[in-house]
Amino acid sequence: MKSFIVFALIALCAPGVFAQSAPKALIHAIQKKFAQVKDYSATVRMEFDIPSVRLTPVEGDVYFKQPDKFRVKTEGIIFLPKQNPYFTLQSIRDTNAYVAIFAGEETVQATKTQVVNVIPHDNAGELILAKLWIDPGRKLILKSQLTTKTNGTLTVEQGYGRFQESALPDWIRFTIDVARFKVPKSVAVDLSASKNTPNLPAKGTGTIHLIFTNYKLNQNLSDAVFAQGK
Amino acid sequence: MGTLLRIELFKIGTKPRSYIGFAAITVIVLLIELALWLDGRSYLQFILQALEQSFQVQGNLLNGNLVSFIILQTLIVQMPLLVALIAGDLVSGEAASGTIRLLLTQPYSRAKILWAKYFAVSIYVFLLIFWLGLLALGGGFLLFGSGDLVVLKSDELIILKAADTLWRFMAAFGIAFLSLSVVATFALMLSCYTDNSIGPIIASMAVIILFTIIGTLEVPLFDRIKPFLFTTHMIVWRSMFDQPLDWGAILRSLWVLVLHIALFLGVSFFHFTKKDIQN
Repeated sequence: MKSFIVFALIALCAPGVFAQSAPKALIHAIQKKFAQVKDYSATVRMEFDIPSVRLTPVEGDVYFKQPDKFRVKTEGIIFLPKQNPYFTLQSIRDTNAYVAIFAGEETVQATKTQVVNVIPHDNAGELILAKLWIDPGRKLILKSQLTTKTNGTLTVEQGYGRFQESALPDWIRFTIDVARFKVPKSVAVDLSASKNTPNLPAKGTGTIHLIFTNYKLNQNLSDAVFAQGK
Repeated sequence: MGTLLRIELFKIGTKPRSYIGFAAITVIVLLIELALWLDGRSYLQFILQALEQSFQVQGNLLNGNLVSFIILQTLIVQMPLLVALIAGDLVSGEAASGTIRLLLTQPYSRAKILWAKYFAVSIYVFLLIFWLGLLALGGGFLLFGSGDLVVLKSDELIILKAADTLWRFMAAFGIAFLSLSVVATFALMLSCYTDNSIGPIIASMAVIILFTIIGTLEVPLFDRIKPFLFTTHMIVWRSMFDQPLDWGAILRSLWVLVLHIALFLGVSFFHFTKKDIQN
């Protein structure tokens, strides 16, 4: 009888334990892969599709240093997401700080992925919920949807190529919720503005596409590179 | 013709009112530059607050290009009044002071005399624009440095590369010259009809203010009138900062402005060459 009860308890708890440990193991494997990159520099081309903002593509240099230093250097004006591209990995670095739940399988970029929901234990943190689409074979995050406390929902999609062994993407596309841009005519001194402009929705989504080339890994980048100002 | 032009330029140069425009431009430009230098960041933060909720905007936004653009937006609306002050006095001022009979006894045709007055006021307009450009761009770059231009619209932001802005400013100044030439010829035309100098100046200013109000008010009735008002086409300089450029609309407006200049000049010549000078 005793042995039956023990067996029944194990049988009941096992799916829960598996749901926790398998996704966490997958996330841990991705973290381990990415940890091999101490720092990198690359050339980046940025393409913008933001409602009410017309901005032609911009080229520049990008620098990263573990654990969370990230900088884009360009000549002109650019719009960047408030979170850096590695915000997801940084937020789930400590595997004890969140719950990971396997939530099915989906196809992303023609690859079968495992969907993992990540819920941090700490309610005070910026990340409220993360949904990750992970390629279990290559151990790469192909897509993530982040719900943040201050910046709404952010979707990050990543495509990999030459540097997939280091979990460094060839491109990243951010999709961000954007409030409609509107200022009074008198403030913009916009006499040519017409009331006939179409009634745009109060909210829309903007995308920023970063395309990386010329990766140079582990060069011992100085912290000065990440200081603001030129 | 050269002698006549020099005489007309001398007349404009000796009138104290000719310097009001330069003084007004200098004070306003320096005031705007000082205000933006002291508090420009707050102004930009207010404009960009909706976008900064979602993005971090990186780069030098408050630069010479933006400052020059703001100055142009603010001042070009007021400059027609400064031009009317001079052009409205060109013929009627001579009639009021009694020098017109003396002028017409010179061995020059009336048409030549009017051409000289027109060229003289055009040079004045050019110098006014040049002064505005020098102060706006020169002062702007000196105080704020260079950078991409953020073109402010009430419902849109256009960001132009720094290297892509200078030719647009030059074209905008060129269009502003053409626009102010419309005002100058309009005031010159009114000036040919009266014998006192205040009338044409006030009438020109009144027409410009009226047309500008009609152009600004969003009333459906006025929407049908707006395309026929020269003031509607005078703000086409702003289209030089669009991306992509709507060349069709720009050329159409330039054509309308040229037609207005030709019309006002034509009426001026027709009346002045036949005018019965009685005083």
